Amino acid sequence: MRRLLPLFSFLFFLTFLLVWYLDARQPDPVELIPTLTGQPEYCITCHADLPEISPSHPVKTFGCVSCHGGERLALDADLAHSTMRGGANPSDLTVVEESCGGSNCHSGSEANDRHHIQRVMTSIQSTYAGAIANIRYTFGAQPDLNARFGIYTVTDEETKTGIKSLSAFDPASEENSFIQQFGANCLTCHINAAPREGEAYARQTGCAACHSPTSLSSSEEKQHSLTTAIPYAQCNTCHNRGNYDLRTMTFVERTDQPTNRLQDYYQPIAQFTKCEYTLDCVDCHTRNEAMGNGDLHANKKDIQYIQCKTCHGTLDELPLTKTLTDPNDIAFKLDFLNPIMDLKLGDTIIITEQGEPIWNARQLSDGTFEIVGKATREHFNFRPVMGTACEQNPNEQESRYCHECHAVEK
Amino acid sequence: MTNLSRRDFLKLVRDGFLYLSGALAFVGFLRFLDYDPNPAQKTEFDLGLAEKYPLGSRTILPDIPALLIHAESGFTALSLTCTHLGCTLEPDTEGFTCPCHNSRFDAEGKVTHGPAAKPLPALRVELTPENRLTLHLT
Amino acid sequence: MRPSFFHHLHPPTIPAAQARWRHTLGAGGTAVFLMLVIGVTGILEMFYYAPNPQEAALSVQTIAYHVPFGWLIRNLHYWSAQALIVVSAIHFLRVIFTAAYGSPRRFNYLLGLALFVLSLMLDFTGYILRWDVDIYYPLLTGTNLIKTIPLVGDFLFRIAVGGDSLETALLRFYTWHIFGLTILIVILGFWHAFRVRRDGGIAVPPPTLRVHTERISRNELVRREVLAMLIVSIILILLSIFFPAPIAPAMSVREAVRESVPESVYAPWFFLWVQQMLKWGDPLTFGVLIPLGILTFLAIIPYIFPKPADADIGNWFPKSNRAAQVIVGLIGLFILILTLVNK
Repeated sequence: MRRLLPLFSFLFFLTFLLVWYLDARQPDPVELIPTLTGQPEYCITCHADLPEISPSHPVKTFGCVSCHGGERLALDADLAHSTMRGGANPSDLTVVEESCGGSNCHSGSEANDRHHIQRVMTSIQSTYAGAIANIRYTFGAQPDLNARFGIYTVTDEETKTGIKSLSAFDPASEENSFIQQFGANCLTCHINAAPREGEAYARQTGCAACHSPTSLSSSEEKQHSLTTAIPYAQCNTCHNRGNYDLRTMTFVERTDQPTNRLQDYYQPIAQFTKCEYTLDCVDCHTRNEAMGNGDLHANKKDIQYIQCKTCHGTLDELPLTKTLTDPNDIAFKLDFLNPIMDLKLGDTIIITEQGEPIWNARQLSDGTFEIVGKATREHFNFRPVMGTACEQNPNEQESRYCHECHAVEK
Repeated sequence: MTNLSRRDFLKLVRDGFLYLSGALAFVGFLRFLDYDPNPAQKTEFDLGLAEKYPLGSRTILPDIPALLIHAESGFTALSLTCTHLGCTLEPDTEGFTCPCHNSRFDAEGKVTHGPAAKPLPALRVELTPENRLTLHLT
Repeated sequence: MRPSFFHHLHPPTIPAAQARWRHTLGAGGTAVFLMLVIGVTGILEMFYYAPNPQEAALSVQTIAYHVPFGWLIRNLHYWSAQALIVVSAIHFLRVIFTAAYGSPRRFNYLLGLALFVLSLMLDFTGYILRWDVDIYYPLLTGTNLIKTIPLVGDFLFRIAVGGDSLETALLRFYTWHIFGLTILIVILGFWHAFRVRRDGGIAVPPPTLRVHTERISRNELVRREVLAMLIVSIILILLSIFFPAPIAPAMSVREAVRESVPESVYAPWFFLWVQQMLKWGDPLTFGVLIPLGILTFLAIIPYIFPKPADADIGNWFPKSNRAAQVIVGLIGLFILILTLVNK
């Protein structure tokens, strides 16, 4: 007893020292009060090295929690991450409404062009309605090619295509074994699906499938970035990856590692003009084409409409253009997000037949045009077809007709 | 050193460590109490477009509380918190008066009647590029 | 040095046999100390805890992650509370196994049981105060269990919960926890300690039958108690450092009602045995009557079993109350097995 008391007093004091020492070793919490929420968050205590995700989502305004969810006060990883939406990707379509939605953000009204989520949810790349309808029609499960099913149930009350809703495709309730196999093997390329195994397929889901290009980074880590400068390689995480074999209902992956776009990348049967193997997909294919226009469609063909003549015009018509007079024009917003053009009031840009801006194509004072690659920033100049020695038949505007002269053989 | 018996030495060791632990605990207790879970108070206020406050105007801003003055030389502001013990001043014929202990200030913020001792501090007003006014408390 | 106030709380001398560690395991005294730690750490938490459903879980996170040493105070509060249940159970078993409940100690035995029940209720109400996703189902089922009691069930539910829905439960449980149950446990605690002294101190055979006759001074007794407190404190602090108290995201009753029940939902550890029994059938029988029945049986042990022989008092596993020892042992085993099986 005489010796035990001093001994344990000493040990007791040591535990106090241990407490002070461990407490002093803890990293100081770093507080961020986003102006949008006014509530302190401590995510950057550990994640200070994360880059800003995009110029239009500054962390000082949004913080982290308004998009990602999570426990804003926690300094322990397990608790802090436990309520994050969609794991590390809050744009996954199962949680995108909570993360990216809101009438001032990405699920607003069509009138102020803020209904992005509704457009994506009804787009072909999400619903996969065309592929599903094709297979079911081919194997006798439906009498025509009208779209009835999509990857998930989706409705479009204000439909302009006549398609009011799609039911969720359920391979298990299909009678035909080929359709079931289709369900098992072929549904990895809609943007809600996890990608196939393999570096070539690596992408995220939801909005991030395109807008957080994994192909930009050399490492396998996911990138914390949102961009509209999407290189063709990102599209190729689903497109140009191989062939379908209908007899065995499997996807035959390509085995080569393509590096040269013209020689290696595209299918051997195809022909391409210089635009098609130099520019990126996003330089021509419009927002409505890729992300949907808010209506359910039965097939990719119903939504894809860009043609060579959209930019080049025909022998009889110049390409449609628009002079920018409204400072709130969407072309300026798109240029702000990816500042390659430095558009000014008074500039004339090309627009499509549906009025969508090809904002990276500007008319020059001599009537020719310049186009800047959205992902590469390369400059190109081109002339409209009118007044040239082009031999096209103005009624034959599909790309195969332009290819007859302008295609480069592989 | 006097001859300390072993028993007394051990008692000293025991008491020493217990008092040291107590001191650490006390300091820890004080640190424990000294934490504010609320986010820091606002120190900047957006007052709106400069046009709202024409030349010659003296506008009371009750939320801060402060007085915004638009003079020939530009925009300035005076704090309307009594420098005695913090009550909000009320305007009167000569300047401002405090309802709590009767301090009085003139229109420029100087003390005309105690118990306040210090004059009302001037607050910085900034004109932003978008022609809005921002009041800074610091 | 003249004896202090704390020294004078103890008798001038006590039989040395009573003060041996092996005699009592120090369980009762440790329980008192744990209650002190719980009280102090609990009061400190009250500086930051917000007892309303919108802020409660966030205020717990503030204490755990942001208040200086808040983590320590919270973890100490948690571990000393769980340790109290374990140590109290050990103390109770020691009383049974050393035949220390016989007259004149029978009333004090009842006070002890009441203290144990109050400790369980304090542990449960404190657990609910986290107001996070893990406490919702225990709160829902536990309070609905009260409703199954005939005649007074709804009334008791409203007393416990403060209304007809669970939204009011937080404030009501908070008041029970920091005041209602606390003041009861303090009063009964002092009474229990007083009765220990009035009934002749820690149970040993009467002087005529005593084998050992040495006595120790109050100073020596206090020294031993201080040593015990130091050891328990070191253990509590080490537990608090290496095993943080459970914490989970905030709960909202409205959302919890909408969502589906998660795969594994568990009662707090000290009620796992009741949750297991509830899988067997009628909630009133298995959730209320059987536990109350066990409690009642334990309470009347000193009254229905023959009084242990005087010479046996204070000795471990004496012969004269073997029956009571066996039955209590079986009940303890039953509860332990149910707890372990429910996983």
